[in-house]
Amino acid sequence: MSASVLSAPPADAPRAPLTRKLLTADHPTWCPGCGDFAVLASFYRVLEKLNYPQENIVIFAGIGCSSRFPYFVNAHGGHFIHGRSLPLAAGVSLSRDDLHVFAFGGDGDGYSIGGNHLVHTARKNVRMTYIIMDNSVYGLTKKQTSPTSPLGFKTKTDPWGVYDHPINPMRTLINSGATFVARTHATQVNHMVEMMLRASQHDGFSVVEILSECVEFFEGAYNASVPRKGGSFQAIEEKKHDGTPEDAARHDPTDEGAAAHLALEPWPGRFGVYYENKTRATKNALEQDLIARTREKTKGASDLELLQKTFARMR
Amino acid sequence: MSAPVRPKPFLEPMYCKGCLRCIDACPRDCITPGTEINPATGLVPVRLHLENCNGCTLCIQACPEPYGLRLETEPPGFEGDFVLEDPAKLFGEKCVPIHSEGDLPDNHIALPACEAMVLKGNYAAAIGALLAGCRHFFGYPITPSTEGAELMAKILPRLNGSFVQAVSEVAAVNMMYGTGGAGLPCMTFTSSPGFSLMLEGISYMIGAEVPGVFVNIMRAGPGLGNIAPEQSDIKLACRGLGHGNTRAIVLAPSTPQEMLDLTREAFALAFRYRNPVVILGDGFLGQMTGKVRLPATMIRPGLPAWAVWGDRAHRHNLINSIALAETDLEAHNHHLNRKYAAISACEQRVDCYRCADAEVLVIACNTPARMAKGAVEAARAQGVKAGLFRPITLWPFPIDTLAEILPGVHRIVVVEAGPGQLEDELRLALSHAGIAPPPIDYVRRCGGFLPPQAEILAGILAPEEVPA
Repeated sequence: MSASVLSAPPADAPRAPLTRKLLTADHPTWCPGCGDFAVLASFYRVLEKLNYPQENIVIFAGIGCSSRFPYFVNAHGGHFIHGRSLPLAAGVSLSRDDLHVFAFGGDGDGYSIGGNHLVHTARKNVRMTYIIMDNSVYGLTKKQTSPTSPLGFKTKTDPWGVYDHPINPMRTLINSGATFVARTHATQVNHMVEMMLRASQHDGFSVVEILSECVEFFEGAYNASVPRKGGSFQAIEEKKHDGTPEDAARHDPTDEGAAAHLALEPWPGRFGVYYENKTRATKNALEQDLIARTREKTKGASDLELLQKTFARMR
Repeated sequence: MSAPVRPKPFLEPMYCKGCLRCIDACPRDCITPGTEINPATGLVPVRLHLENCNGCTLCIQACPEPYGLRLETEPPGFEGDFVLEDPAKLFGEKCVPIHSEGDLPDNHIALPACEAMVLKGNYAAAIGALLAGCRHFFGYPITPSTEGAELMAKILPRLNGSFVQAVSEVAAVNMMYGTGGAGLPCMTFTSSPGFSLMLEGISYMIGAEVPGVFVNIMRAGPGLGNIAPEQSDIKLACRGLGHGNTRAIVLAPSTPQEMLDLTREAFALAFRYRNPVVILGDGFLGQMTGKVRLPATMIRPGLPAWAVWGDRAHRHNLINSIALAETDLEAHNHHLNRKYAAISACEQRVDCYRCADAEVLVIACNTPARMAKGAVEAARAQGVKAGLFRPITLWPFPIDTLAEILPGVHRIVVVEAGPGQLEDELRLALSHAGIAPPPIDYVRRCGGFLPPQAEILAGILAPEEVPA
């Protein structure tokens, strides 16, 4: 469905740039010290930089601590069924191609109950940006096992330690066909802003996984990648194609095999853009193309005429 | 010199779907649409007239699976249809204990007498399930029911049981189908939005007659609603368990003690009738702490004869809910209806408090019944003859007992923490029984509030409305 049919936006009057003050809505209800605060602050900065018209920003989320996100951003948005934010966002993205659609969620929402939706939204390459705030635990229901809980972690539903193998989000996303896959850390604000900015500007289904610590139920989960806590934050160096010998060792994000290989690195793994495919067409574009091709043959006939013709054939 | 004779097609009426693709493919018009329904499949196979057939085999290429058209002579190497072989012959005897034919009965083990415990409603229900012999739990965290699952996670491994935090409620209910189909007691804890997700699986379980116990700690809806208590799923549990002709016994406890007793009882009912049983508790009940006494015995479950247990004795058993032929499905529905009628006749349960001489009858269940009891006491203190009728089974509604009480009743007051679903059940039950009730008033709160005792008392004392 072409957006122009639905509403022709009026010629925009010059407007003031987006600011954090304009974008701030309800006060976040997260626990003090939650990593999600940094994600929210970074997202404000991303929106300031993008400077989209405020009314064209749409933010959806499912259920979970991180899925409270839409309440805190002054834009359009919705808080939806557990795990089903991606189908909702896909519906909006496909019916209003001109909007900037974001989906937020956590690891339980995205990889557990919403896992099948994640795979198929990625496969279809629907144009939107999905930000997953991974804390490796169910926080809202007070410490149950999540699909990314590491082996041995004691939760209320695994009191003797997790023994189900956790999923590898980067590997899953690359395999599913997501066309932009990045990983970042809530303590690295500049890196996080850069990743979210690039994801937002990507034409296709872009995913950023942000390791965002749950201070209440899984404190220190990501210390291995926090230099302040004795870990090391290993950013991915991307290929610059400058012909220098050190460039050969750098990661080529357009190489799917290299991205999948990178995703297999041991914990805590690397941070940065794993995979970026700028050539695969989005579902939005393919659908527009299909509509254009089928309408070519109708020679501008009205809906009524076309339907009557169809009904005549069905008699 | 004669042309080589090529093999011609022949029709397998059991496999022909009557899709008519072969008719379009045949260049010599040898095939016509059929006119007679094949009684075995309910489909209309095509008819072949092979006088003009030159064996071009185009029809066979057009024929989709499962290939209603085949060649008269199969190509060399074709060995005919695959024949199922007895696994025992192929792989030898399986090393599992072979049960004798027929039901293995439950084993009752005496529990030593102990002090009453002080337990949360959710924990009490989990303990009830453990004492009923449930060793398989499948669920997904959802407030306000998660504590039940957490207790099971802690205890079950020690009891050689299995606890699975499923990927979603949809997965959980289908895991229950698997365990229930094997004839073992299993359960889940969930809350309203999760119960919505389970309905599809519940319909399949009822269709396939698989037992299982669902503890639904109801919260306020519709949609996302909130996590506060509401009696929001009475309609769903009594009238809307997925698609098709579905019914399940719905138990409504009102104290932590009843959470334990009714959950324990629910397993017996589920296996007696080979049907899921739903326990509806409201969020307060799940979170409420109260004194709980243990029963005298615990149960080590046997194995029903119908179980698909995977050994020689149970090999002839079949658990499914599909019946493609209309006659089979109608007969299965009649069978289910007879079961539902038996449940309605035998399993109505109710708790009547000062109903014998009641003129104002308060009807309430779950936590609101406790406030209603206080209000009945207060009304009696003021000289109003009030009584509390507390259904313990919401389906079947205890209409037989109600019918005995009603002649002396001037007015009914339905008290509920919800938008009128209990009143709907009451009215439906009265209507089906052909009873003309006295005026029915209500005291309702919803969105997470319970009707307070003062409001209920006001509802009891309200003067009867005189029609103008």
